[in-house]
Amino acid sequence: MEWNKRILIGTIGYHNLSNHSVAPFLFEKIKALPWAQHVTVEEFNWGPIAIVQWFQALEQSFDRVILFTAISREERQIGELTIFKWGGRTPSPEEIQARIGDAVTGVISPENLLVIGEHFGIWPKELYLVDVEPGPEKAGPELTTEVGERVMEYFDTLHKVCQFGEQSDEKFAILYGDQMPV
Amino acid sequence: MCFKNLPIEFDEQGNAFLKEGVANPYEYKVVELDKEQDKLKELMVKNGYIKNIDYDPVTRVAGALAFHSVVDLEKKKVLSTNSMATLFRGYEIILKGRDPRDAAYISSRACGVCGGVHATTSAQAIEMAVGIKPPPLGIALRNILLAIEYLYDHPLHLFLLAGPDYSEDLVKETNPELISKAETTATKFENVHGYKTILDIMKDLNPLKGRLYLEALEMTRVAREAYVVIGGKYPHPQSVVPGGLSVTVDITTLNEVYTRLIKFFDYGQKVCGIWDDIFDFFLEQDPAYADSGRRPATMADTGVWDRPDVYDATYENCEKWGEARWATPGIVVDGEVVTTSLQQINAGMEEFVEHSYYEKWDGHRFTHDPLGTPLSPHHPWNKETIPKPGKQSWKDRYSWDTSPTWDRMPMEAGAYARLYITAKAQKLPKSEFLESTGHSLKIRVPAHRLPEAEMEWNVPEKWNTFERNRARAYCIPYSAAVAMENWMIAQSLLREGKTEVSTKYEIPKTGTHIGFGAWGAGRGFLTHHLVIENGVIGNYQIITPSTLNAAPRTPWGTPGPYEEAVMNTPLLENFEKPEDYKGIDILRAIRSFDPCMPCTTHIMSKNEKHVVTREVTTCACGVE
Repeated sequence: MEWNKRILIGTIGYHNLSNHSVAPFLFEKIKALPWAQHVTVEEFNWGPIAIVQWFQALEQSFDRVILFTAISREERQIGELTIFKWGGRTPSPEEIQARIGDAVTGVISPENLLVIGEHFGIWPKELYLVDVEPGPEKAGPELTTEVGERVMEYFDTLHKVCQFGEQSDEKFAILYGDQMPV
Repeated sequence: MCFKNLPIEFDEQGNAFLKEGVANPYEYKVVELDKEQDKLKELMVKNGYIKNIDYDPVTRVAGALAFHSVVDLEKKKVLSTNSMATLFRGYEIILKGRDPRDAAYISSRACGVCGGVHATTSAQAIEMAVGIKPPPLGIALRNILLAIEYLYDHPLHLFLLAGPDYSEDLVKETNPELISKAETTATKFENVHGYKTILDIMKDLNPLKGRLYLEALEMTRVAREAYVVIGGKYPHPQSVVPGGLSVTVDITTLNEVYTRLIKFFDYGQKVCGIWDDIFDFFLEQDPAYADSGRRPATMADTGVWDRPDVYDATYENCEKWGEARWATPGIVVDGEVVTTSLQQINAGMEEFVEHSYYEKWDGHRFTHDPLGTPLSPHHPWNKETIPKPGKQSWKDRYSWDTSPTWDRMPMEAGAYARLYITAKAQKLPKSEFLESTGHSLKIRVPAHRLPEAEMEWNVPEKWNTFERNRARAYCIPYSAAVAMENWMIAQSLLREGKTEVSTKYEIPKTGTHIGFGAWGAGRGFLTHHLVIENGVIGNYQIITPSTLNAAPRTPWGTPGPYEEAVMNTPLLENFEKPEDYKGIDILRAIRSFDPCMPCTTHIMSKNEKHVVTREVTTCACGVE
């Protein structure tokens, strides 16, 4: 356990969109888990620029950031979890501008946050994206069974990544800012 | 008499009535668009320089806008235009049948930028419908919040969305001949912004790295902070409620707002200096730029910022409290103010769907407003939202936006309309900071780090791309001045012990109650029309600034404001081969309206299972 590291877990997503809202849905529960004192859990359901400015205003920066969200990806089962380690890199300036354009007009998006955060240099060396496969978009305050029954697994994964980073026994894929779908 | 096209006349006492002897007073002729489209097709076949140029999506705007144009790249002329809102906005349907008390919270979500203005407009609609008014401090605080919201919005547009169009990076690509001239052209307002040459400004307008771009991002943060000190949360405040605000405010709160507000005194002077310099430079280099985005100054604005001692939320007095606002409501037709009466503005509104993905509705339930003025069956109180997704066709339907008109004319909306009408109408209340002269608006900007200054925005001779943005820049010191004026009122009220910020109310459980909220979004004109039936929302209709600006053609073929502005835009971009054409002039013209499509269009939630679907028909490929 790396006791001297300041660690942040941020939940991202719109409310009320069933599995797509898994992160805001579980926010209170994640916050209530028994974390060490150096772990902070924050809700990041804001435009990415507001989040960037939140980071810029920190008196003491974080050593490890873990973002928890839901993203539709090909070839995953509903409820499946993937852990990505952020590899950095930014897309073209035009794409960054487009993502900033989205961000300042209030769009909540983990992909935009990753890229814009990279552009403004807010990320620590260790940044992880933990994302759940939500399946088809639908409205409603509940999670489907596929996601609901794996909640404990998500908590366990967040604990492991939080405690050990890439030294944990989880599998990590690398995510680069210039290889994300717009 | 303000109406020229609608058959409404007024007697000597000012009472409105329908013109006698007109069999079907609200009839209109639908003009088929087939011939125009067939002619264009023919031209494209004959002439290799005439091309379809589609912008899908139009970038650096908020939300889903696509734009189709047919352009003659040899004569450098735009031949045809179509503005497409590519997503459906379902708020009218989402709100139907709900408790009216939910409306402010739900309608706030119509936009990620303007949540506060939608919440406030909704609150006003309910105030009118149920007959309550907020206490004076509630009104003053609401004014401060809304002025601050604009202080977030305007820098965002000027430097992050439209600004890059005038940056060194972009001008170098599209009009390199201007760069060398910019390098040797001295600025006129170095004393407020510190830049010696136009090129120095253009360099700092460069996206992502330019200092002006980054400073604007920082200023949006200052405005957001000021907002949440009172409102608690932004962009979707939970504290804006019918009857006022649900917050506790003291002198310390106001002082915290003040420390942020004063930054906009200097920033307002700087921003106006920057854009005066940039736009004067373009217009001096090539007078043809004055035709970019040109259309008659035909605009609508609902006005904003209520006087705490005048606003009573009643329809009966809406003309009085509307005209007492710090931004005067009004309609301008070709540069002339034809009315400043909120009642007449409301009575003249209609919405048409002939070129939109909606079914027409039957019925004419509200034939007159509460004061007896005739209302059209196309008026928002009578309108029903019936989505009808379908094939995109320039001859038929091509947008999820409707075609709103006032007195059967498409109207332009914007922060600039607020400035324009206020400057022309000369109805401003006595103010320490503002003076309306009939041809200009004078703004006294208090000192901060820069000395106090009297700024003056003059009504321009031609209405175009550059003047829209220039006026928007002046809306920064204007909004800051109104915020300051209301801050002083709020201080006085607190000192007098008048600390109430809200009025209790009950939603009547029986009967029909109607109201409308008329307030300004950052981008201008905003109305929410509400019908309460037996305690629940029977009908809810929202008209946003981009509903007006992005409108498709009217049934009788008049283009919407974007469409008209682009049609008149000369292509001044420097290119040799058609494949090098980037379309900067068209994009500048569209962006000058500050398009904000989230509140014009939205995702659709249909059937009882609430399946969220997206009916997106954005691709213009293969469109008729």
